[in-house]
Amino acid sequence: MTHMNGPGWLSGIFAALMLTVAAYCAGRLVMARLWRRPTELDTDAAHIVMGVAMAGMLVSGLRTLPAGLWAGVFAAGAAWFGGQAVRARVRRGAVASPWRCLHATPHLVECAAMIYMFLLLPASRLSFLALPLALFLLGHVVVQGDRLALSAPAGSGRPRLAPRCAVLCKIAMGITMGYMLVLML
Amino acid sequence: MSESLAVGRAAPQPSAAEPRAGRAKLDARRKLQLALGTIWLFDGILQYQPSMFTKAFPQMLGDSARGNPAVVAAPITWSAGFIGHHLAVTNAVFATIQVVLGLGIAWRPTVRLALAASAAWSLGVWWLGEGLGGVLAGTASLAGGAPGAVILYAVLAVLLWPADRDRSAPFEAARAVGRGMARGLWLVVWGSMAVLALLPAARAALGGAIKDMAPGEPAWLGWADSRLGALLGQHGLLASIVLAAALVLIAAGVFLPARGARAAVVLALLAAAALWLAQGLGGIFTGMTTDPDSGPLLALLALSFWPRAATPATPAASATTAGPTGSLT
Repeated sequence: MTHMNGPGWLSGIFAALMLTVAAYCAGRLVMARLWRRPTELDTDAAHIVMGVAMAGMLVSGLRTLPAGLWAGVFAAGAAWFGGQAVRARVRRGAVASPWRCLHATPHLVECAAMIYMFLLLPASRLSFLALPLALFLLGHVVVQGDRLALSAPAGSGRPRLAPRCAVLCKIAMGITMGYMLVLML
Repeated sequence: MSESLAVGRAAPQPSAAEPRAGRAKLDARRKLQLALGTIWLFDGILQYQPSMFTKAFPQMLGDSARGNPAVVAAPITWSAGFIGHHLAVTNAVFATIQVVLGLGIAWRPTVRLALAASAAWSLGVWWLGEGLGGVLAGTASLAGGAPGAVILYAVLAVLLWPADRDRSAPFEAARAVGRGMARGLWLVVWGSMAVLALLPAARAALGGAIKDMAPGEPAWLGWADSRLGALLGQHGLLASIVLAAALVLIAAGVFLPARGARAAVVLALLAAAALWLAQGLGGIFTGMTTDPDSGPLLALLALSFWPRAATPATPAASATTAGPTGSLT
C-alpha cells in the first residue's frame, strides 16, 4: 500500500486534519437528517471516506482497508461524480437538488487522485500525472477560498447546513491531497 | 481611486433569475489574482517537501551568497546559518507563510493584506534566498530563473492590486497602477532579461545550466533538457542573440497598438513556456525545488497585459466587480 515519506510530525498533522474532516462530515450527515437542513450528501460521504483513507496513507498505524479495496471504493465514487458531472452538463440550467453536489468535477478529480495514489504510484513513468492533479486541486482550493467570503443564497426552502464549514472541509481536503501528490512527484 | 472586489461590503443577494446561484462572476483581474494565489499555494506545498527539511536547504540558500558584494552576502550567510540551526521550525514556518499567502489572496477580505505581505516576503526571499537572482554576482542565468523568480511575485502583487486608478486601462495590469507604470514594469522585467541573455557569463553558462537540470528529472524531460543544453552549448552566441532579440520585441510590444501588443503577449507566453522547459519545469520533479521557477509567473504576467476588448463601463458591469457579490451554496 502507498505510504507517504514526508516528515513524521507533518504527516501526523495532516492525518489528524483528515480525521477531523471525516468526523465533521459524518456529523454533518447526522445533523442534516435531524435538522432537515440540506447538505451535499455525496460530498460529505466522499470526504468521510477520503479522510479515513488519506489518514491511513499518511500514518501507517491508521491504515484500515487494503489498497485495492480503497481503489474500488474511489472508482465507485468517480463513477458517481462523473455521472453527476455529465448530468449537470446535459441538464444545464435546471434547478439542482440541494442534497447533491453542485460542482461534481472537482470531486471526480479527487477520486481520480485517490485511485492514482493507491494504484499507480509504483509505476514511476506516470509520476508526472501527480503534477496536473495537484495543480487542479490547489486551484480548486483557491477558488473555494474565494467563495468563502460570499453570502449564502437567500433562495426558498431551508438554508443549507453550515455552508462555510463545508467549504473549509473542501479546502483542507484539497491542500492535504495536494501535499500528498507533491510528495509523489 | 475606487475600491475593487476585495473589501468587505454588504453583498447584494443574487436575483432569482440566476440559474447557478453558487458562482459569483469573476472579473479578469480576480481570475489572475486567483492564479497567483494558486502558485503561492503550490510554492508553499513544495516547501513542505522532505528535502527542504534537510541540510540541503540552508546550503542552497548559503550558496546564493557566492559572488555577491559583502553587504549583500553577509545577511544571506547569517540567515542560512540560522535556518540551518533551526531547520524544521524555520522551514515549516516558511512553507506555512506561503500557504497562508495563497489562501489570503483567495479570501476576498484579505486580498490587500496578502498581496502586500507577498510583495514584502518576495523581496526578502529575493535577497536572502536567491542572492538578488545573481544579478550583482554576475551569475544570473535565464535558465536559472534570472532575474529571480521570486521577484516576479512582487511585481504581480503590485500589478494585480485591487484598485482602479485607470478605469479605461487597455489591460488588467494597468488598472491599479496606471498604464505608464505597468508598461514601465513590463519593460524592466523583459528588458533586464534581454540584457541578462547577452551577458558573457550567462551566455557561456546557458547550455550547461540547462543540461545540469536533467539529472533527477523524468526521462522525457531530462532528454529534452540534455538535448536543448547540448544544442545551446554548440550555438550559444547565436541562441543568446535570438533570445535577446525576442525578449526586446516582447519588452517593446506593450507600447504598440492592441494588435501588436497582443502579438507581443503571445510571444511572451511562448518565451515563458520555452524558458520553463529550459528550467526543467522549475525542477518540480526532482523533489529539491522550493518554487516552480519563473516560467509560470512570466506567463501570468503576460496574461495580465492581454489587451482588453473595448467595452464601455456600465453600472451593471461594474457591479459584478465592485464587491464580494454572489452567493455561497
